Amino acid sequence: MTPEEKSIPMVSKTSRAEILKIVRQVWPWLFLILMVIVFAIISKTTNGVNFISYRSVQGILVYATQILLIGLAETIIIISGNGGVDLSVHYTLGFSAVIAAFIMRAMYAAHLTPVLTLAVGFSGGILLSIIPGWLNGMMVAKIKVPPFISTLGMGYAVYGIALLISRGQAIADQPDYLGQIGNGNLLYYWPKHGFTWLNIPAAASQADLQHIIPLIPNVVAITLVVTILIWFILAKTQFGQHIYAIGGNIQASIRSGIPVASTQTRAYTLAAVLAGIAGVIWATRFTSGAANAGEPTLLFAIAAVVIGGTSMFGGEGSVIGTIIGALIIATIQYGLVILGQQPYWQYVTVGVVVIIAVIVDQLGRRMEHD
Amino acid sequence: MEPLLRAVNLTKRFGGLVAVDGVSFDVRPGEVIGLVGDNGAGKSTFIKMISGVYQPDDGDIYFNGKKVNFTDPRDARDMGIETIYQDLALAENLDVGSNIFLGREMKKRSISEKLSQVIFSIVFALPLGALLAWAGLQFYKILGLVLGLVFGLAFGAVLGWLFGSITQLVDRRKMIGESAKALNRLEIEIPSFTQQVRNLSGGQRQSVAIARSIYWNARVMIMDEPTAALGVSEQHKVLTLVRTLASQGVPVIIISHNMQDVFAVADRIIILRRGKKVGEQIAAETTPDKIVSLMVGAETVHTMGVIPQALEGAGAGADS
Repeated sequence: MTPEEKSIPMVSKTSRAEILKIVRQVWPWLFLILMVIVFAIISKTTNGVNFISYRSVQGILVYATQILLIGLAETIIIISGNGGVDLSVHYTLGFSAVIAAFIMRAMYAAHLTPVLTLAVGFSGGILLSIIPGWLNGMMVAKIKVPPFISTLGMGYAVYGIALLISRGQAIADQPDYLGQIGNGNLLYYWPKHGFTWLNIPAAASQADLQHIIPLIPNVVAITLVVTILIWFILAKTQFGQHIYAIGGNIQASIRSGIPVASTQTRAYTLAAVLAGIAGVIWATRFTSGAANAGEPTLLFAIAAVVIGGTSMFGGEGSVIGTIIGALIIATIQYGLVILGQQPYWQYVTVGVVVIIAVIVDQLGRRMEHD
Repeated sequence: MEPLLRAVNLTKRFGGLVAVDGVSFDVRPGEVIGLVGDNGAGKSTFIKMISGVYQPDDGDIYFNGKKVNFTDPRDARDMGIETIYQDLALAENLDVGSNIFLGREMKKRSISEKLSQVIFSIVFALPLGALLAWAGLQFYKILGLVLGLVFGLAFGAVLGWLFGSITQLVDRRKMIGESAKALNRLEIEIPSFTQQVRNLSGGQRQSVAIARSIYWNARVMIMDEPTAALGVSEQHKVLTLVRTLASQGVPVIIISHNMQDVFAVADRIIILRRGKKVGEQIAAETTPDKIVSLMVGAETVHTMGVIPQALEGAGAGADS
């Protein structure tokens, strides 16, 4: 080898690819900041409400939880590639909420202890959600049904079962302590009195309530823990590495001995468990269970994943991207409420953001391959 | 020198079609063999029998003097017969280190995945079984207890299967370090080991695929059209790498259409035509024209009597 052959000039291409990678990662954050500023200015000038407040942050985070959980499920499936997308997770969410609510209503009516009522209800919802997820995985990995079709079918089947169980109505008559979980906070701060865990300080009177600042909504804390877990699985474990590998090149994965079928099955099952958790959270927030609980979330979740830079072709994407995607959509939803606008604008706005995301992604890719 | 790999009268039929018809050859340590032939001559079918993708209908394969029977590609690979196909089998979205260790990732010290799944299953199953058994008892007496217990244990086990692999952490730093070593040994230069493979040039990708095989102790390397998609200087680099491999004792079998390449690296050239071996030539003693005429059959008209000899004289430089 002669010296001049030794170094093919890769540097310029490399650094440009690095820059584009950074742009693709950073733009959603800039977009979110810009959006917050715009909302703040508009709300200040039109109805005098201060948009940048602690309450807004909390509201946005709570709005984001459901989109994020379903978004994480989609992130896993979409990264695993090969046409992977799960069109059943939002119905699994409703199914889980219905199961949990159904169990808790029965146990509450039977005057069983609160802790056990909650434990059985939650685990019932989450565990039964495993079934559709596992079946999805088996159909995709073993029978090779395209994910679009298998999860579409599974989604309708699950939706139908949830409707049958709930007789097409919301399952109400839930224990009163259920709402304390879904709408309560991990921590309350009462100036001059200090912090209390989980409950409003017992000493506080009705008049004191407006001074007590709720910190960290329970559902946000639970979602955060689940999100960290999924980030850890995707970024650090061998299972996560295999999901990326399968999404990048399934043939190479098979040839190099990756247990492709098992990895895919586990991915779909994990997605369904996330939907199950989201369903249980829904039940605690709305103290009921309904088959259509997750209805509008699916496309918002996929939008969040796309905004976060996850490639629909598989092999690329991250949990952090989906978090920012979910935050952008939640900010749009919350902002429109604060501005007193018609909520229907959220569809228009989210649509525009998704299109921007795809354009940025495409431009980045095209320039990278020039 | 004893042949490392020896194929005797390998035959493969697909229905009525005889794709490979009694082809024999042997491979000695340190040599490069060019395998040439027109489209449909049976090159890839022949290679796939050696690499375990197909099972021969007739004939034997000997590796290191012992008769071997490959039932799938992994058998061949475990013996050290590595095949690099044109698509290179790289995951382009992953970095160099992850590709070299694709499917055999280096892990941080931990308990085995199976044991971890069992422990997680027990941890999930026992409380869930107890909880749901208790709940079942409240509503359906003994039947409920049994159903709740079974349900809780079963789904707890599923959760263990699902989350048990969380203990298996990939050691990226170590994989990158090992990859750097493997590539250095072969004098391959890669700008960055954390770079996605899609940002590498064709030759560099080829090098990564080769380095991967070498890292996993390839003893015979089979390469399918390694230079097909490369520019001139990259072709040169890959061919240099092939010579490096051979000089380190790893024989290489190269399938190629490109006579220039074959003559640049091969010690011996084997020519297939319509499933039969029609020639085996020492590269230094023959010409591209001669090889091409054997490939397309022009030569057979003149040397009809020689071909059966070539078929019988499988091995030791039988020169038609």
